Amino acid sequence: MTQLVKINVTVNGVPYEREVEPRLLLSDFIRHDLKLTGTHVGCEHGLCGACTILFDGQSVRSCIMFAVMADGHKIETVESLGTPEHLHPLQEAFMEKHALQCGFCTPGFLMTIVDYLGDNKNPTDEEIREAIDGNYCRCTGYENIVEAVKLAAKKMAAHS
Amino acid sequence: MAERVFHKSILRNEDPQILAGKAQYLDDIELPGMLYAAFKRSDYAHARLKSIDVSEARALPGVIGVYTAEDFGDLVKPGPLQVPPPTAIKGATYSSRTLMPIAKDKVRYSGEPVAVVIAESRYIAEDACDYIYPDYEPLEAVIDLEKALQPGATLVHEDLPSNEAAHVVQERGNYAEAAKKADVIIKKKIYVDRVAAAALENRGIVINWDEKAQMMTIWCGTQSPITLRNATASRMGLFENQVRVITPFTGGGFGPKINTSMPDDVLLTELAVRLNRPIKWYEDRRENFLATTSERDQVHYAEIALTKEGKFLGFKDVFYHNSGAYDPYMMTVPLNTQTHTVSNYNIPNFYTEITMVFSNEMVVTPVRGAGRPQGVFVMERMIDAAARELKMDVAEIRRINLIQPDAYPVSTGIIGQDFVEGVLDSGDYPTALAKAMSMIDYKKFREEIQPKARAEGKHLGIGICTFTEGTGVGPYEGAKITVGGNGKVSVATGVATQGQAHYTTFAQIAAEQLGVEVKDVKVVTGDTGAFAWGAGTFASRGATVAGTAIHLAAVKVKDKALKLASKILETPESELELVGGYIQVADIPGKKISLGELASMANPMRGTFPPGAEPGLEAVAYYGPPYGATGAGCMAMILDVDAETMKPKIERLVMVHDCGIPINPMVVEGQVHGGIQMGIGNAFFEKVFYDETGQLLTASFMDYLFPQATDMPPKIEMGHTEIPSPLNPLGIKGVGEAGAIPTPAVFTQALEDALYDTGVEIMESNLSPSKVYSYVMKAKGA
Amino acid sequence: MKLEGEHVFNGPREDVWEMFYDPAILASAVPGMDKLDVVAENVYEGVMNVRIGPVSGKFQGKLTLTDVVEPENLTLTVDGKGAPGYGKGVGKVAFIQNSDGTTTLKYDGDMNIGGALASVGQRMIDSVAKSMIRSAFETLDKALEARLAAKKTGTEVNFTPPTQTEFATGVAKDMVGGFTKVPELRLILYILPVVAVLVILALTLSK
Repeated sequence: MTQLVKINVTVNGVPYEREVEPRLLLSDFIRHDLKLTGTHVGCEHGLCGACTILFDGQSVRSCIMFAVMADGHKIETVESLGTPEHLHPLQEAFMEKHALQCGFCTPGFLMTIVDYLGDNKNPTDEEIREAIDGNYCRCTGYENIVEAVKLAAKKMAAHS
Repeated sequence: MAERVFHKSILRNEDPQILAGKAQYLDDIELPGMLYAAFKRSDYAHARLKSIDVSEARALPGVIGVYTAEDFGDLVKPGPLQVPPPTAIKGATYSSRTLMPIAKDKVRYSGEPVAVVIAESRYIAEDACDYIYPDYEPLEAVIDLEKALQPGATLVHEDLPSNEAAHVVQERGNYAEAAKKADVIIKKKIYVDRVAAAALENRGIVINWDEKAQMMTIWCGTQSPITLRNATASRMGLFENQVRVITPFTGGGFGPKINTSMPDDVLLTELAVRLNRPIKWYEDRRENFLATTSERDQVHYAEIALTKEGKFLGFKDVFYHNSGAYDPYMMTVPLNTQTHTVSNYNIPNFYTEITMVFSNEMVVTPVRGAGRPQGVFVMERMIDAAARELKMDVAEIRRINLIQPDAYPVSTGIIGQDFVEGVLDSGDYPTALAKAMSMIDYKKFREEIQPKARAEGKHLGIGICTFTEGTGVGPYEGAKITVGGNGKVSVATGVATQGQAHYTTFAQIAAEQLGVEVKDVKVVTGDTGAFAWGAGTFASRGATVAGTAIHLAAVKVKDKALKLASKILETPESELELVGGYIQVADIPGKKISLGELASMANPMRGTFPPGAEPGLEAVAYYGPPYGATGAGCMAMILDVDAETMKPKIERLVMVHDCGIPINPMVVEGQVHGGIQMGIGNAFFEKVFYDETGQLLTASFMDYLFPQATDMPPKIEMGHTEIPSPLNPLGIKGVGEAGAIPTPAVFTQALEDALYDTGVEIMESNLSPSKVYSYVMKAKGA
Repeated sequence: MKLEGEHVFNGPREDVWEMFYDPAILASAVPGMDKLDVVAENVYEGVMNVRIGPVSGKFQGKLTLTDVVEPENLTLTVDGKGAPGYGKGVGKVAFIQNSDGTTTLKYDGDMNIGGALASVGQRMIDSVAKSMIRSAFETLDKALEARLAAKKTGTEVNFTPPTQTEFATGVAKDMVGGFTKVPELRLILYILPVVAVLVILALTLSK
């Protein structure tokens, strides 16, 4: 039987202590152990970006990390941004610009962008496309996502 | 009456919960006591399966069971056809060889399941697969379509005389005669290669058998929940209403999720009952590439006959369609190719011949476009070859051959996937072409921009193509609308949703009739417990067919409501109106009754009930079109190519599109954008590649290149022409696949134009920098 | 995939030929090969650890020597099966005695791979195969040297086969070599260092 490892992770501000197999993927830990299913898994080899979360404030792909790597660290998932009743300005922008269709890639985009807009307050279209290049979307053609990011930048500037 | 919410860009009902991470997708579902499945798949594309040793896998801790064909007995037989055979077409011959749920004695494609593991966790189930040892005797793999038809070729299905899966010839007019009269005849061989749907969410299924209630519940992101339910019930000897299929939020469909009676649902429903525990199976990306269906893959020998002025006299297309190892989806894809080859143009003589071939590759079933892109690609490439020969402008040669707006309805003489002769119901192709040319400044580009760029040594090209999209085909769909005691409206229909905003567009249709807010209409799609009659989401038909059924049901409910309100308010129906959730007297706003109250009153608890009346404010309606409505459009693209690295950059992309009256223009544009991403991928980045032994070499995103944000044009410029379809009361046509259909043709044309100085001619899609490079080298005579 | 080439051994043909019949030496020449047992005349079986990019696992391998014309040529058939897939290769090997006392070994064969090896690891297969062959020859060179020295002095001389890290570095080097020829690979040149590091890390971590 595999040795379980004890880990302490803070997720969306809540501390968790769990025992996990060393080979448990961080994405599976978040989704199945913590039941935070907002983070989605599209490829399990780090290319599509659907599993993007914030790891100590930086956007990372949780499908190519192990849960044990998160021991002692802070994680934020899409659930930390807002609720259906109170959406984050970025989420509002996505809705207003029809930047999601099936919604499967959306949480990954949101976390990538929230990290990006934190450091880049007023990006150009080209800069936005480069920033989201690591997130795949099959439904929207990225067109409205770019518009949503621009709108979000404005909204977030107005809020701060 | 002015449209209130119909034909408006209303924001989506479903967005808040999706954005907040609260929408439930298949893999989010956890049931107590749930077990996990994993499939052991064949490494060989074609081999005899002599034996399979699962003893070590069975002994692994956490493994509940490992099952092979011999554990399933009678269940191991070919599944049902997904689509009826083409008996409506005279002279059609076909052999149906449907999917086996698990391989027995022989494997026919790399990825075919040979065993299934059930374990306490997905990790353990996948571990166990490594301890299963099948003994294969490799056979020669059948890969090349034309070689497969040679006498003496290895047979994919040994009980058949050859690898020919079907043969269909359709003709209107007489091509041979037309060719005699032609000034110019051009012949080309054209390839369109395979692509994967690559939805962001892979396939999966969760099954729960409640032994006490004798009820099976299946969760699956399927495009055809009703077919899945009925096939399961039939196979298991249950009543249809003992099986409930629920589609959770689905992360994209794009075609492959339409298939039912797949290995997963056949074997796992059986095991869920045997083990009496819920079972979940969720694919990973490599499995999706390996064992989920893909499409395109055709070889065409095309011929066009024209006058020297560029008028098309006739078109002949003899093509081979790869069906893969089995043909459960029969001829839908190649029939679509046939019907979409000459659709925009006046070509009185058209001969088209399909030979569908079995091969040791994954099965081919529709992927967004479903055969239409191939037909358009072939036609548009031939027109470009003709333009080159006659030294005509590519836009002009198209313009003079387009079907004129006064010609409709136009009978095409070609039977399509719905087994009736295709009829173009409405359209205006010349306006679409002119509009696209105007939007992209075609004249200015040719006269100023391109010459200037060429003088600077840049390789800037333009492409312009027209296309049609057959949509909204039958058989039918239905809907049930119920006004709740809470005054809100519930709409239930059988089609499933994979992101195309049904929760909003369907709500708009109902809300328009019943005078409520769109957000107060709750739409349920793809739950057979709520509505169980219909065919499914395919062929861009959800909005058109289900939407029309919803409209008809809403009108019925409105009529019932008005009738009842008229009695209660003692006012003639003609003086009543539905506003803001109430029925009120037109000039006396105070005199009104809420829909909710009306609904309760429509279901009396005591007393008598008028004969022939129906309780509640509820109605069911069905709609089936006589034939599908045809959307159409024109796409233009300006492409810059680096002549050394062959890297393309789309500078501008214009799409003028007619989908009739759009229910929600914002949603329509989104659908076109998404289709364009796939079309660009089909043209240049994506290719499902099997080597000569049938091994899939593109089984991850490392090798299967997926267009990203920087691969798209800086802006997709959309133009709309709204030509209502006469086939349904709302005038709508489908649009889901539009973006994917013309793009490869436009891209390739623009690429050739950009590389004008090489004289290159490219007659295949699924290109890549090195492919283009080798074409250029060949053209230069290197 | 075609595999062909030649290698010059610093020794007489009989000694080179003998090495091919020594399972201990053959096993040591292939990186990841655990052992090789003689199960019948000219038939060897063994277990091999294979790692190609992200795909790894144990392979049951069978080596068969046929059409043996001592000491001129033979046909070598390799059949490997494992969880990550399968590999089958057939190659003609010719041993040519040169006038200066060296031996030229010429090989000409075909290799088919399948399963996860093909679908995920195929980009690296070419380079990895070439590296394995090169590494095998280097080991055989050392083995030949040791053998000839032992014959002279009459004592055992040891040689060390390459470590996994050395092998990984070799693979990375081979991959760079092929990169500049193809247009699209020029575009992704920046991925190369990452891949090389991953391969090296993977192999060192597998110890």
